[in-house]
Amino acid sequence: MQNFNFIRPDNLEEACDLLVRYKDRAKLITGGTDLIIALREEKLPNCLEIIIDISNLKELNYIKEEGKYIRIGSGVRHAEIANNKLIKKYAPVLSMASSVVGSPQIRNKGTIAGNIITASPAADTIPALIVLDSILVIRKGKEKRKMFLKDVFEGPNKVNLKSDEIVCEIYFEKLPLGAKSNFIKLARRNAVDKSRMNIAVVAQQNKNKEITNIRISVGSLTPIPERFKDAEDLLLGKLPTQDLIQKAGKKIAEEMINKSGYRWSTEYKEPVVKSLIDRVLNGIVEVE
Amino acid sequence: MAANRKIELNIKVNNKDYKLFIASNKRLLDVLRDDLGLTGVKEGCAIGECGACTVIMNGKNVCSCMILAGQAEGAEIITIEGLEGPKGELHPLQEAFMETGAVQCGFCTPGMILSSLVLLKNNPSPTEEEIKEAISGNFCRCTGYKQIIEAVQLAAERMRGGGM
Repeated sequence: MQNFNFIRPDNLEEACDLLVRYKDRAKLITGGTDLIIALREEKLPNCLEIIIDISNLKELNYIKEEGKYIRIGSGVRHAEIANNKLIKKYAPVLSMASSVVGSPQIRNKGTIAGNIITASPAADTIPALIVLDSILVIRKGKEKRKMFLKDVFEGPNKVNLKSDEIVCEIYFEKLPLGAKSNFIKLARRNAVDKSRMNIAVVAQQNKNKEITNIRISVGSLTPIPERFKDAEDLLLGKLPTQDLIQKAGKKIAEEMINKSGYRWSTEYKEPVVKSLIDRVLNGIVEVE
Repeated sequence: MAANRKIELNIKVNNKDYKLFIASNKRLLDVLRDDLGLTGVKEGCAIGECGACTVIMNGKNVCSCMILAGQAEGAEIITIEGLEGPKGELHPLQEAFMETGAVQCGFCTPGMILSSLVLLKNNPSPTEEEIKEAISGNFCRCTGYKQIIEAVQLAAERMRGGGM
């Protein structure tokens, strides 16, 4: 185990000040489900001096409704999000994704911001937050800035946040009335195992059954989490048929190969993503 | 590299208050086992997957290998040792685990029982699926899952009956 001093600030302001003072020599801890493994394997830089525990800060622990937005404090645990009434009502895709992270024990500790900043391509909540077009509120000292979640990722396990910045909040617009959403995790076993692939979808149809709103994100396919715009464009404004859904699956597979190259896993992932998109859409869309 | 400072830790374990001075890089698991001698808490994988180190912290089951000791300041912890009744009697879950043969090598048992206890406190009549979900973060490598599920069902029945 690496050596460090442990500090538990009483409020967010104190935590921000500490981070500005220590920068690279400090690390924040909330759920700790990734950080403690790294500490134990002594993988953090030698300059590490302090661990700042923000897991008990009430200022980062809330889920609230504010006009058209849902706002989630960065320290909220997966288990709380999975069971929260507001999330179930206005963003069920996030509730579904949060309910399959790790195991009950991991969901009782791991936080939504932790899942984001670890930036694992296999993270379960990220595709859900991507299809919600989520925005992050980031604080440095007393300054605040906002950024789209999709812009925070630089590559696998890499985010473009400075060492003195804290993610304070994740917010997104409530899904419109009549929009449906769905999430599927594919793993060798349901619990604990990380996703081989996961898929999050938002879809809405008008009274003629034409698709008026479609958002798709698939985890573990591309280096940076994103929406699959080509497939979305193909579906938008159309009457969904099984044939059209298959074509959308093909588009996603093409986009995967374009962005990630043809890899050892492609032969597996190509048919699987086609089948997953079929399953996830058929779960919520009325197909002709 | 920074030196470890000692930190003060005030913690309630199995209904007893402790004030400890510990190295800042200890995990809750280390404090429970090494400082308090509660060796019913097991270290298995140490990466939060196997659930052998499960304890109940403020009413929730967590992996004690995934918590820095300092993060448990002010917390209430229950370990398997805390299930013992005032006269040394076993908890209905422990009785049921023995009766159904749910204990083989025994390494996973404390964690299994604590995850099951959290389940039964929140849901006194769980379905088989709910039991499976509740213990999905606890691995049994003797693969005696069937008996473990039976044990939780049996204990649930007895606890609902108000006995013990």
